[in-house]
Amino acid sequence: MPGYSRALAVLAALSLVCMALSVSVGSASLSVGDTFAVLTGTGTPIQQTLVLELRLPRTLTGFATGGLLAVAGALMQVLLRNPLADPYVLGLSGGAAVGALLAMMAGVAGAVVSGSAFAGALLATFLVFGLAHGTGSWTPSRLLLTGVVVAAGWGALIALILAMSPARQLPGMLYWLMGDLSPAANPVPGLILLTLVCLLVFPLGRSLNVLARGPMQAAALGVSVRPLEWTIYILASLLTATAVTMAGSVGFVGLVVPHMLRLVLGNDQRLILPACAMAGGSLLVLADTLARVVIAPEQLPVGVITALLGVPTFLYLLYRSR
Amino acid sequence: MSSVVIPGTATAREATVRLADVSLVTVVALLLLLAGRAEAVCVEDDQHRTVCVDGPARRLVSLSPGATELLFSAGAGGQVTAVSAWSDYPPQAANLPRVGDSNRLDLEAIVTLEPDLVVAWVDGNSATQLGKIEALGIPVFWLQPRTFTDIASAVERLALLTGHEDIGAARAADFLAAMAELRNRYRDVPPVRVFYQVWHQPLMTINDDELIGRAIRLCGGDNVFGHLPRLVPRLSTEAVLEANPDAIITGGEDREDRRWLDQWQRFPELKAVAVDNLFLVSPSLIQRPTLRMLEGSEQLCQVLEQARARL
Repeated sequence: MPGYSRALAVLAALSLVCMALSVSVGSASLSVGDTFAVLTGTGTPIQQTLVLELRLPRTLTGFATGGLLAVAGALMQVLLRNPLADPYVLGLSGGAAVGALLAMMAGVAGAVVSGSAFAGALLATFLVFGLAHGTGSWTPSRLLLTGVVVAAGWGALIALILAMSPARQLPGMLYWLMGDLSPAANPVPGLILLTLVCLLVFPLGRSLNVLARGPMQAAALGVSVRPLEWTIYILASLLTATAVTMAGSVGFVGLVVPHMLRLVLGNDQRLILPACAMAGGSLLVLADTLARVVIAPEQLPVGVITALLGVPTFLYLLYRSR
Repeated sequence: MSSVVIPGTATAREATVRLADVSLVTVVALLLLLAGRAEAVCVEDDQHRTVCVDGPARRLVSLSPGATELLFSAGAGGQVTAVSAWSDYPPQAANLPRVGDSNRLDLEAIVTLEPDLVVAWVDGNSATQLGKIEALGIPVFWLQPRTFTDIASAVERLALLTGHEDIGAARAADFLAAMAELRNRYRDVPPVRVFYQVWHQPLMTINDDELIGRAIRLCGGDNVFGHLPRLVPRLSTEAVLEANPDAIITGGEDREDRRWLDQWQRFPELKAVAVDNLFLVSPSLIQRPTLRMLEGSEQLCQVLEQARARL
């Protein structure tokens, strides 16, 4: 697969460029030389703090979040065989948001908010799993309907929490809902998970490709469809829960990055999944860099920029592919 | 109502008497009307609209904690019939009936109280909701204090509308005099570069035009983000590190809540952290546009004095 390696090499280079850019620009003006000096172990203490403690973790968190969301979106699209599927379609971000917002309403911050978001995401996952699995006769459309209705329920709860919260809490809550990388979570678990899931496509990729054509064909070709579908569901949920815990519900990446890559690279999951990890990560890192510098020193939530960057790119690709 | 007067007859005499009665009634009525006119009080609110009440307003509804405080300062505490949520100062305000949160008012509750003046807050209340109240004929006084003079003048105008002109004028003058004294005291002190943290996530501060920004300047502080165009800018941690302030001050979420300040300890290379210039100022004293800004500013000035000593 020389074409595949070339595509992945290009994406890897793009990822590195985006991360380098993100680490070297910000509201504080550091020259490229200064940044390089810090990365090689010199530089003043304040420069070291800026680059190593603020920008680098944030960049890695952004990359992991974007990658996880794009991979989760690609998996959901295969699972539900629905082009509109994204990581949040089954209500997972809603559950996470309710968890996070309740924690914020109670006046706690930091790790408790993240933990609460993760718990909410898992609750949402098992709720949908349980309800859709219940009577035995199971289809992706049943899962989709269950998820969408549960998501609507979460939406109502979110609106209720927003309506009940004191005004001064609202900016924080809205930033969480729009997706924001400034809380600077620990990127390590996300990066490990992202790497693992990219390695997983080697054993799973062929089955995924067959499944994407439909469950009948997959069953006829000897794939045990039901267990594979549940594996995808749990895997995608875990990826999304991790992403949401790190950065709130960043929209758009999970929906559009897989479609973009399919338009350019074709629909082979063995290529699409690792490509999603890198392209999703790059998009979010780039968007966050812009969010930090567009009106610096003021800040925008990254979710706004992902959509503003992604919509025209996607429309262009769609237009060109006719 | 006029009669034809024919002199020399009994009817004429009667008629004359009746005419005199009628004139008397008319004059009294006219006088009453004039007196009524004289009692109508009009002032300009912070949106430059004229607000009139017929005689001193007796049934007041306050739609923000700040408005409640200003009404009590104006001497009209006894006339306040209902307040918005979070109106916790002065203590007797906490016992008054509530008409909803500042940004989600219970219009029915307000209308049922039949207020003759509603005091609203530009930055918090919904103009649409208040529009409905005005359409029902209830006068609305909009508050938007941006300077210390605005605060004093709001107290004076509210006192005028509620019939406590003297109290209002006296308290406003005292407040401005005390502020001027603070300004004089700290006029020539060496400046301290200050970062004031309003909120932690997203990280928010204030610029020089905000009341807290003005208090910082009054105390000889130099707000490191004072030049930003927005009143309440949202920042990155990085911007604070680059600005490297001499002192970091916050109201926190509550009194004695040092969690936000403790988060800055992660950056020992910050000057404010290195010399331990991390301070709390009571949020209700400094974050509400009321006469208690004086107390808040005094606290702030003391804190900056300490900060200056540690530099």
